[in-house]
Amino acid sequence: MKKEINNITELIPQSVPLRNIDDSPGPCCMSFGFDLNPLIQSIERVGLINPPLLKRDNQGSITIITGYRRIKALKSLHTDSAGCRILSGDNILQVECLLLNLHDNLAIRKLNDVEKGMVLVRLIPWVKTLEIVDHYMPLLGLPSNKATLASYLKIEEEMEVQAKESIAHGQLSFRNAIMLLDIDSISRSSIIDLISNMKLTVNQQRQLIDYTIDLSHVEGRSIPDFLDDQSIKRINSDTRMNNPQKGRALIRYLRMKRYPSVSKAEREFKKMVSRLNLGEMVRIDHSPSFESPYYRLEVLFKDGPSLRGKLENFMREDIDSLRDPWKKKR
Amino acid sequence: MSTKIDKIILDKGVQEYKSTKSILLQLRDIPVRTEKDDGSEEAPCVSDEMKMDMGKNTMHLVSYQGEFLKPCPGTKEYICCGYQILNVGTNCPLDCSYCILQAYFNRPNLRVHVNLEEQLGQVFEAIDSEPDKIFRVGTGEFTDSLALDPITRWSEMILKGFSKRKNAVLELKTKTANTAGLLGSKYRDRIIVSWSLNSPFISRREEHGAASLTRRLECARECQSEGFTIGFHFDPLIQHRDWMDEYRKTVDLMDRYIEPEGIIWMSLGSFRFMPALKPIIRRRHPETSVLDGEFVLGLDGKMRYFKPIRMELYAFLKELLHQWHPDLGLYLCMESNEVWQESMGWRPETSEGLRNYLDERVRNFFG
Ligand code: SF4
Repeated sequence: MKKEINNITELIPQSVPLRNIDDSPGPCCMSFGFDLNPLIQSIERVGLINPPLLKRDNQGSITIITGYRRIKALKSLHTDSAGCRILSGDNILQVECLLLNLHDNLAIRKLNDVEKGMVLVRLIPWVKTLEIVDHYMPLLGLPSNKATLASYLKIEEEMEVQAKESIAHGQLSFRNAIMLLDIDSISRSSIIDLISNMKLTVNQQRQLIDYTIDLSHVEGRSIPDFLDDQSIKRINSDTRMNNPQKGRALIRYLRMKRYPSVSKAEREFKKMVSRLNLGEMVRIDHSPSFESPYYRLEVLFKDGPSLRGKLENFMREDIDSLRDPWKKKR
Repeated sequence: MSTKIDKIILDKGVQEYKSTKSILLQLRDIPVRTEKDDGSEEAPCVSDEMKMDMGKNTMHLVSYQGEFLKPCPGTKEYICCGYQILNVGTNCPLDCSYCILQAYFNRPNLRVHVNLEEQLGQVFEAIDSEPDKIFRVGTGEFTDSLALDPITRWSEMILKGFSKRKNAVLELKTKTANTAGLLGSKYRDRIIVSWSLNSPFISRREEHGAASLTRRLECARECQSEGFTIGFHFDPLIQHRDWMDEYRKTVDLMDRYIEPEGIIWMSLGSFRFMPALKPIIRRRHPETSVLDGEFVLGLDGKMRYFKPIRMELYAFLKELLHQWHPDLGLYLCMESNEVWQESMGWRPETSEGLRNYLDERVRNFFG
């Protein structure tokens, strides 16, 4: 490593005209989906505390090593120049700059999942896969394995900005984003629109993606065409429902389409049970998807006599009518 | 089925095995790479999980350090037939869209266990140590039993040992027409050659690289007339458009080619899979219809058809097959007593009950 790199704090900040600094997201950049306003307000109030670190090559072009957001904030405040530390010369390796920026960032904030992907993609040309997995992934708070690495790389390399923004803003969970990698970008964006509009929970997102991909296959339709469904539109635009209600209605609707026999059996079973007068303290449930051969009876009671009373009432009901809902009535 | 092997990898230390030499001789025009001690650094951006081809064109000769004979990993939630797997290799040159081996991405390539011949002694020792137990052994769980046989000559290696034993049978399960090695051998006793069958629709669309149903049945007929006991497996049964008519076509075809009295057993199993397999199938076989059905989480953590759908599939096939011949040794693979009773009209009660039923078939066929 170059000598100055080890002694960065000893570099005296110099005033640099901001218009000379290239602020496109360069090879060291690991900022995405951020809100610049708090930083702008802080600079307005107390000025720039930490000077950005820049690199000037032998041709005089200046790029950002650390302080990408600070430069952006200063520019949006129409500041002319700012005090920056500068590393000069062509013999500064890009990987050295990258690592400086990584450690600078890790010291002061938590990177979002898109930013973690940016870091990993930028490390790939310089660092062996094994070292990335063993050293840098734990540093980023990620599980140390190749499958996770591959997922982050794919998200960074293949996802559109809209999808990345949804991830960075926490609207789309990373795991669910991975599920979206297998479909084309137009389909992806139609699913993400729905997720953002209805503010679906992580679990609902997973179900939406899973059911939509399956149903578009089963029905031989494209995903955008499938999501253009009248019932989905009606749920989405129903002003009587709030977002959580819409989310639940959407998933219920899709599940019924995806699992018609299971849904029918569940409805039948519910009907059968509701015909019995069980009261509030007695419940009968089926196993998930009826896979177990057994049903569950739950009785809440205070003491022996109250249990006896409940069971006697229960026995007076037409419990012989209970059966697997797909079987014919006896 | 012709294999398209274009690369051979030799693990450290496998050169000396007889199998290695014979395979290298067979594939003498194919480039060979020897694994180095340090393992070469792989392309950085590609994880094992993302590899699409599973190394189906690469034959990897390895010395397998695990146990060669192992019980099939059943689960206590469903009734298991108590099969034993002879682990001759993993992965398969065929490419069925529903194949569970696709989830084993951490083990790509056609891995051939070249120390098999040297380890067979131990396998037979284990079998001989329990003379009262019947070992129903198969090689077709982690690969197709015969797909690589023209190259690996597995059948040549193992038939004799099984043929000589009174408490074991060997089942070679395949979707290929690679029976030349078997037919050329002199061993018949206690050897079962079986074919996995499906509806013509599924076979055509989903069993890539497999022999056509007719070809499979022609081979089965030939094996039967050459003195082999045969078996069939309708596994995985898949619900699809016109599935009843389609499965009926297969049974009609069986009737044209096969003497049902010579069938030792036929299993029925509906499609089931670990949840992690689904995205892999979608990625590798975007046109597939095997995922279209209503799959729910089973008690063993695998996805399987909603119970009444499974019952309907089995009951239909059972009826159809029963009409063809009443004594085919039909059994269900990994099902509950409830499903057995509803679809087959009887139930084995426990895994041991099913084992006894199949062992009895072995005794009836081979003494
Ligand atoms: S033949 Fe069997 S092992 Fe081979 S790909 Fe098909 S299902 Fe998998």
